[in-house]
Amino acid sequence: MKRAWRAPPRRKTIAPVHSSTIKLPYYQVVSTPTLPPSNDARCGSLACVGMGMTLGSHLTPLARSHIEQADVVFAALSDGIVELWLQRMHPDVRSLQPYYAEGKSRMVTYRQWVDLMMTEVRAGKNVCGVFYGHPGIFAWSPHKAIEMARAEGFKAHMEPGISAEDCLYADLGIDPGRFGCQHFEASQLLFYERRIDPAGYLVLWQVGLVGDLSLKRFSTGPAYRQALVDVLSADYPLDHEVIVYRGATLPIQKPRVRRMALRDLPGAELTAEETVVLPPGTPLKQNRAMRERLAALDKEASIA
Amino acid sequence: MSDTIELLEAIGQNATLRHASVDELAPILEQAKASAALKSAVAAGDSSLLSEEFGHKPNRAPQISNAPGHEEDEPDHDGDDKPPHPSDPGHSPPHKRTPHEQ
Repeated sequence: MKRAWRAPPRRKTIAPVHSSTIKLPYYQVVSTPTLPPSNDARCGSLACVGMGMTLGSHLTPLARSHIEQADVVFAALSDGIVELWLQRMHPDVRSLQPYYAEGKSRMVTYRQWVDLMMTEVRAGKNVCGVFYGHPGIFAWSPHKAIEMARAEGFKAHMEPGISAEDCLYADLGIDPGRFGCQHFEASQLLFYERRIDPAGYLVLWQVGLVGDLSLKRFSTGPAYRQALVDVLSADYPLDHEVIVYRGATLPIQKPRVRRMALRDLPGAELTAEETVVLPPGTPLKQNRAMRERLAALDKEASIA
Repeated sequence: MSDTIELLEAIGQNATLRHASVDELAPILEQAKASAALKSAVAAGDSSLLSEEFGHKPNRAPQISNAPGHEEDEPDHDGDDKPPHPSDPGHSPPHKRTPHEQ
């Protein structure tokens, strides 16, 4: 049974600051009820925020505030239960999920999402687009909607959220700064000639639908993954251990972590949400010429 | 019976509960009068069992940002897939972009 939306508890408010006395960045929301409205600002605004990955754990106070202050909320989330949770924060939450359909190009879906949000922005509403994880990572529609809203003179803003990448680092104990880390949507390695540095981490997203040019499928199969393995085998031995990872979206879940040889990836059962991590396959190679140059600079600066 | 969404939120926000084992969480859920579906899901380590309470709600996750096949959406691309310029942080007058300093 759907729990009715109820008004959020009263929160501390900050006294309004008059912008005539303090120079504020353009993007800072200021409550100035005594000032006349700016001729440059159109009614209607857009904020795209992330829920984070795990229900209850990752929603930032600022994202929640955007949700609660919006006139209408659009939602593209990872889990139907997370959507139910969001519905308790606002009386008008409109799911974007129904616009997906098997056999329908996802670009059509994403353009529809942009249209839906922009229609309300143009109607003068404060719109909040809520996306799972971070709203700007592997997410075309939020960026496009913000670009469009700004081009039409509306205020538009994106708030960062905790992404699947952030959870991956925590759950797998990876520091991307240690050896470097490259991220690709898996299909990019098939569609384009990309350079991989096997001395660092390689993270491949959406491997479950690798190679889909049509944008109409939600999974491709072993043959497509074999094509990916064939590309990777130029830089990694086939017995190189890879990690297949999926983060937790509900707080009663644990992350799913599987390890297998690269050659076994095509035959593995893989969901659209799973991510493949290739740990470094070669040691870092010193750049001797540059090190000598740096040593000379240090000597000049009397640091050596 | 306690509300499952509220319990999930409470578990998600609580450092102890979030990382509690099945054995640690079970009596807490019992005390909180959790639903049968939630207790089953925790005991089995299978969140799909929550569908007994909420129905089956599969969500599509993937968004694609750079897959080819929709260059027509970016009319200034000439097929070489040049990197786009990051959008200016400030809002701009219609049909014109001007750089803003933060």
